[in-house]
Amino acid sequence: MLKDYLLPASVDEALQNLQAYSGKAAIIAGGTDIMVNMAEGKVSPEALIDISRIGEFKQIEEEGEFIKLGAGVTHTQAARSPLIREKALVLAQACREVGSLQIRNVGTLVGNVVSAQPAADAAVALVALEAIAEIADLQGKREEPVEELYAGIGACKVDCRSQLVTALRFKALSPNQGSAFKRLAKRKALALPMLNVAVVLSLKEGAFEWVRIVMAPVGPGPVRATASENILAGASVSPEIIEKAAAAAREQAAPRDSALRGSAAYRRDVLKVLVRRALQDAVSQAGGSL
Amino acid sequence: MKEYQVVGKSVRRLDALEKATGMGTFTTDLALPGMLYAKVLRSPHAHARIVKIDTGRAEQLPGVEAVACFKNTTRVKFNHSATMTFTVPPMEAVLDECIYDDVVRYVGDEVAAVAAVSERIAEEALALIDVEYELLPAVFDPVKAMEPDAPDIHIKKAGCFLCGKNIPGEKIHLALGNVEEGFKESDVIIEETFYLPVQKQAQLETQAALATVSNNGDITVWSTTQTPHPTRQILSHIFQIPQSKIRVLNPPYIGGGFGVRIGLSAKAEPIAVDLAMKTKKPVKIVYDRKEDFTSTDTRHSGIVTVKLGAKKDGTFQALQLKGLLNTGAYCSFGAETIGVLGAMGLSVYRAPHMLYTGNSVYTNITPAGAFRGFGNPQAMFAIETVVDMMAERLGMDAKELRLKNIIKPGDPWILPYSCQSTGLAECIEKGAKEIGWERRGTLNKPGDTLRRGIGMAVGTHVSDAWPFCGDFSNAYVTIQADGSVHVASGVPDMGTGTRTTLGQFAAEVIGVGMEHVSVTIADTQSTPFDIGSHASRTCYVAGQAVMKAATEARGYALAYAANMLNEPLEDLTILDAVVFCRGDRKLTLAEVARHAHLHNEQFIGVGKVIPQNAPPWLAHFAEVEVDTETGQVRLLKMVAAHDVGKAINPVIVEGQLQGGVVQGMGYALSEEVIFDREGRSQHDAYHKYMLLTAEDMPEIKAIIVEAEDPTGPCGAKGVGETGQVATAPAIASAIYDAVGVRMKQLPMTEERVFQALQELQKR
Repeated sequence: MLKDYLLPASVDEALQNLQAYSGKAAIIAGGTDIMVNMAEGKVSPEALIDISRIGEFKQIEEEGEFIKLGAGVTHTQAARSPLIREKALVLAQACREVGSLQIRNVGTLVGNVVSAQPAADAAVALVALEAIAEIADLQGKREEPVEELYAGIGACKVDCRSQLVTALRFKALSPNQGSAFKRLAKRKALALPMLNVAVVLSLKEGAFEWVRIVMAPVGPGPVRATASENILAGASVSPEIIEKAAAAAREQAAPRDSALRGSAAYRRDVLKVLVRRALQDAVSQAGGSL
Repeated sequence: MKEYQVVGKSVRRLDALEKATGMGTFTTDLALPGMLYAKVLRSPHAHARIVKIDTGRAEQLPGVEAVACFKNTTRVKFNHSATMTFTVPPMEAVLDECIYDDVVRYVGDEVAAVAAVSERIAEEALALIDVEYELLPAVFDPVKAMEPDAPDIHIKKAGCFLCGKNIPGEKIHLALGNVEEGFKESDVIIEETFYLPVQKQAQLETQAALATVSNNGDITVWSTTQTPHPTRQILSHIFQIPQSKIRVLNPPYIGGGFGVRIGLSAKAEPIAVDLAMKTKKPVKIVYDRKEDFTSTDTRHSGIVTVKLGAKKDGTFQALQLKGLLNTGAYCSFGAETIGVLGAMGLSVYRAPHMLYTGNSVYTNITPAGAFRGFGNPQAMFAIETVVDMMAERLGMDAKELRLKNIIKPGDPWILPYSCQSTGLAECIEKGAKEIGWERRGTLNKPGDTLRRGIGMAVGTHVSDAWPFCGDFSNAYVTIQADGSVHVASGVPDMGTGTRTTLGQFAAEVIGVGMEHVSVTIADTQSTPFDIGSHASRTCYVAGQAVMKAATEARGYALAYAANMLNEPLEDLTILDAVVFCRGDRKLTLAEVARHAHLHNEQFIGVGKVIPQNAPPWLAHFAEVEVDTETGQVRLLKMVAAHDVGKAINPVIVEGQLQGGVVQGMGYALSEEVIFDREGRSQHDAYHKYMLLTAEDMPEIKAIIVEAEDPTGPCGAKGVGETGQVATAPAIASAIYDAVGVRMKQLPMTEERVFQALQELQKR
């Protein structure tokens, strides 16, 4: 039963609050997941630790070649940030697709990551950006790639009883690089994705220097389309190679049949289309031509 | 056309300020001192017998005041829809349910209910009720349910009328001419079968009721019903208490309805009344959203087959329609919906030979009942798609083929009343102009993956339920001692603007501005009997009753004024709340009313109406864009041109049309409740059930056409349901124009369109 609602002013204070409740407190930022889970009786913390008053958590800033997002950055903030729109468009596009405007206004990107749903839009984009999560506990700080935080459906390796994700960091894209996000859903708002795809790539002299393609929900967390990435790496940019890479993504993916989100066969067929379209958009952003 | 002062004007709604500021009262908002909260234990099984039920542990929980189940509650059979109050012999209403039974027939059926001091305690108590079930075989498919070896969902016994295996009510048979001859005379015959989904009203306010029982046994129920007077009749029947001792009212607002509470609000009213009688305290029940999805009426899913025969020149010779509707575990309006499907489906086009056969069938899913359109959308998706196919086969323009064959006044038609007006041809022409029909077939280049298309469909509906079942209205109109006007009508206002519209009729007839008018609605104690809001009838029938009552009240006031002025009655008139005579002699209505008051007279008019019926007409046009690689359909524009007879309040009418179109768009593309192999709903929440959102909306253009009907108040016809009727087939027609696939199953999801495209490629 909920007994207290805490508003720490610093990361240290938040961590101490967590320790004081020895695992029985939960972090709340936007509350768009935890309030639903509490209402459904899935979790029943004794205290909620609201991290929205921690000043630096609201910041989106450039740090050298990196972009850093505080743990309180909302989807609306990211979707509208000129910096992110210029140097990590895939993330702005993904954040614009989450839930509805009201949910985007309060829900945070870090929440999107630690809730560890298989097809969380922002998290899919973050994996494509090779984002790193900064994780703090009372012993200190460590860093882990977002991609490696998944421990199963809805399970995150960050131990929320004693640890706090304080920020996300990824490399800003340069002019020869491009990114794109594609999504298939049953309606334009308030619909979980039937499929989502994030692409980040780098071009060099008419060829793919490297490509990162992430697809979901085809596994417990965002899944890298490694076969497609390998086909493209080093290859000259052409419609044919993009088609080949898209087809490889279709072969690698193993979505499930879902009464709510479509059959596996359909989703595999459309995945190929989304991967191709995302690659096309990202290539043209990176200054490539098809 | 007649000039009006108030009618035909978009006056501000009487409920606008209250609702816009959040001050409007809904059942969900109500609280009374000492009030208890009710929660319902629902069946986890699709079909089972309750072998044992032990409520002892639940009753022991502190805060629990009563637990009800079949063992301690009346088992009088009823039908939660209003059908049991207005089905006229020799037809028989199907009474097949009681509040709690010892057999549960779908997942979500009522097993028991708890009244407790808080919702949380009531909820906790539910978990303490021990139930032992004996599982019974279940059937979900409507065709299988009619097979001889299917399980019987209801046993044939008194009060539960079956006319075939699992078939409640009547098998419907409507015929004109001889279809066999008609098909022989036809040059082209097309026959197709269509599959319709379960659609949910998903109205904002869930089912709710608050009941109190006074010391002397008088019962008051505030609830979300669309029909307070029939609901009182049903409660009187269930509890065997005289109607005069029961009061049912809205408080006064309802958060939508769309047909889901014509009669009882599912079982909210009887559950609350029973627990209030058991505890002697006020009891409130508010369904949660999941309950609203699993345990309140849906639109009927089903199968419709159309066979259309035409001459080479496009003249329709024969139209045959077959309907099968899945009415779920209880009949509700199942016996009526299947009739309306056929009656409406056969009344749009002229053909010398027509035949409709249809029936509903029980299965072990959530009961289906009334939902905006009431069988008509199912019929028209099938018929209009076949008409489109016929146009193509004949090499005719789809619009011209329709114009050639639509019903005109005087044509023989299947309905038991005459068609006295139609503006359908005007609707078709105006709608076609708005969408740019001439662009059809010219929108795409070879190789485009995003392909655009334009489509259309037409239809009609009713303006009330006469003469299919009992249908009448009464109203009081009183000119108060200060000259202001009070209207009392038993209909509700579930968001449709009823209060405003009825007020406009009274203001118009008497000759006052809207600022002088107040309207009491939806209360069995202070309003005369009215069937209530269903069948698009509220404006059409209750409007007539108000006009009649207002005419009578006005007559008394004028007679009184004539006496005061010592002038002949025929020289007097009322304009803007002033009684004018020849020359400049005048009295304000307030002066007349006050004089009358001081001489012991009030001007009270009573309006009693047994209505006729009138067909509203509609033509819908859609422009879509289909993504050929994903199957996704994007709506670009919808046009809804409707012959409404007379728009009493044009903005309200446009709102009704647009709202109907929006529900039709969901029906077309995304809304569907699917049950798994155990009969469990897969779409029991707003985030799972795909209503279209604001972001999905295209431009929706409502065009009002006014072919006044001689039977309607100021010529008005029903507009509550028409927006839903032909939306899906218009979109299907546009999809065909875009990509060449004929969709025969709703909703036309991205996956179904994708599959159809793949099959087309294979051919």
